[in-house]
Amino acid sequence: MTIGVASVVVMVSMGRGAQKHILDMIHNMGTNLIVVNAGQVTLVGGRERQAAIVTTLRPADVTAIAEHVVSVADAAPETSRSMNVRWESENMKTDIVGVTPAAFRIRKIETKVGRIFNSFENDSAQRVAVIGSVIAETLFHDENPVGHQIRIGLAPFEVVGVMTTKGVDATGVDRDDRILIPLETIMRRLVRTFFIQKIHIQVKNFDKLNSAEAEIRNLLRERHRLGDKPDDFTIQNQATIVETEKEATRTLTILVGSIASISLLVGGIGILAVMLTAFRERRKEIGLRRAVGARRSDIRTQFLLESLIFAGLGGFFGAFFGILFTILASALGGWNIIISWVATFFGFALSAVVGLIFGIYPASKAARLEPIEALRSE
Amino acid sequence: MIKANKIEKTYSKTAILTPVLNDITLSIQKGEYVAIMGTSGSGKSTLMYILGCLDKPTKGELELDGVDVYGMDDDALSALRNKKIGFVFQQFFLLERTTALDNVLLPLIYANKYPDDALQRGRKVLAQVGLEDRVEYLANELSGGQQQRVAIARALINDPDVIFADEPTGNLDSQSTAEILDILGHLHQEGRTIIIVTHDRTVANHAQRILELKDGRIAEIKNP
Ligand SMILES: Nc1ncnc2c1ncn2[C@@H]1O[C@H](COP(=O)(O)OP(=O)(O)O)[C@@H](O)[C@H]1O
Ligand SMILES: [Mg+2]
Repeated sequence: MTIGVASVVVMVSMGRGAQKHILDMIHNMGTNLIVVNAGQVTLVGGRERQAAIVTTLRPADVTAIAEHVVSVADAAPETSRSMNVRWESENMKTDIVGVTPAAFRIRKIETKVGRIFNSFENDSAQRVAVIGSVIAETLFHDENPVGHQIRIGLAPFEVVGVMTTKGVDATGVDRDDRILIPLETIMRRLVRTFFIQKIHIQVKNFDKLNSAEAEIRNLLRERHRLGDKPDDFTIQNQATIVETEKEATRTLTILVGSIASISLLVGGIGILAVMLTAFRERRKEIGLRRAVGARRSDIRTQFLLESLIFAGLGGFFGAFFGILFTILASALGGWNIIISWVATFFGFALSAVVGLIFGIYPASKAARLEPIEALRSE
Repeated sequence: MIKANKIEKTYSKTAILTPVLNDITLSIQKGEYVAIMGTSGSGKSTLMYILGCLDKPTKGELELDGVDVYGMDDDALSALRNKKIGFVFQQFFLLERTTALDNVLLPLIYANKYPDDALQRGRKVLAQVGLEDRVEYLANELSGGQQQRVAIARALINDPDVIFADEPTGNLDSQSTAEILDILGHLHQEGRTIIIVTHDRTVANHAQRILELKDGRIAEIKNP
């Protein structure tokens, strides 16, 4: 019973967490997105793993996609590298992400102080940086970073803006712990590469996601002259990402749901057994109560109330442990779970219903017992 | 007060269908103290349960206080037992781990309306059986004689017309037996109708009237 109710609480909390997670994801990814990664990306523990240096995607691929795929609205290439940044005596390691101004549009990145960089600054590989709020706090504390010179690696960069705080994303990556600089700057001055790692592509409308994905795949395969070799890139669209997420949640929910129903059933049978034992051991008490004036319905009510109390106690502990587990899981495991009070109440009510249902049989047995039989029993 | 006419009782379970009670006709007046005697298995308890409306006869009529009991439904019989009848059993039948007072108040739960003066009434009937200093004791902390006195107090709580006592001294030593018979004697003097079932002649002798059950029939053996 306890486990059953706990599961209900966890299940619904998890479901709500997952739902929020998915909405968050869509919100933060930007809408109608297709993501192309260089090389094969594998999912390890829910996080993307990509081979360190993959040399398959080029900026020219991005131009080609924007030109040839009609339903594409915008495309933003990026490449990143983990590097040291320094300002005065403060110093930290963070992700330096090279992007074009399109990335700010597609991924809804805004600044809370200062500005983003423009196409001119990108094309001419200026050393300008838009920093995340974690960087701003760590390096600058209370000071306004805009206008100051930081060093990325050895190169000096001017901070032009600070991004609005976005928090930790679904996969546990802190989106405020990074610095955006122009793509041309990172490729020509910092990393010196001809390759990009990722393209975010925005499609004009949601219905075109799948067809656009197919067109982009064909285009890239053709451009990379793959013939009958496997893709040297990974392409995902928002519809399938969301679908996969939903699928995973659904599986978990079904799992927890079956734990819940099995344990509620077991709890119910437990109550049945306890109440039948109570019935057998308390025949004399039933007889006595009948002798002093209890009606059959009084006995039935008493037994039903007792099963209800049993189930209610089980339910109470279940709700308690469910909430405890939910809190622990979201605190320690970094799970995305939202405590659902409705579910807690619902689980509690469910245990009461189970208590009543499984209490009916013993209660009516007790009520049917003839008083003289009850009094004569040993 | 109680009028039984040609009562017959046959337990359907017994293989040989010889009736336990056969053609019992009797009448008990208000305020009488009556003993029903007989050997073990003669059907004394069966008769008492029928007179006390806990069981129904196979045949025959029963009138209680001028009301025909035969036609009453189950709930009406419960209400009748609650208001008009008090039972005392050989095995006391108290709720363990429950105080003497709460045991005594039990019948009030099943009354139409739980009385406001329940506690006073509980204390009063406990005082009547000499247990005013044991009110908050748990039933299992009391001696056998004390437990039976609690049971008598419980039978008195609703101020019943009749008290039925089935071998009330069967589980008690001679000292406690005397106490219980003393209390029943007092209740009789207060004007209550008392019907005691016993196989013990000396116990039966405390009553005004003795009826003997034998082979399912009844015989008057003492009548003042
Ligand atoms: N529920 C029952 N089913 C069948 N036989 C019963 C039942 N109750 C009592 N009897 C039988 O009826 C007879 C009378 O029993 P009882 O009234 O308890 O006698 P007493 O109280 O005089 O000892 C006994 O022979 C007993 O075995
Ligand atoms: Mg008997």
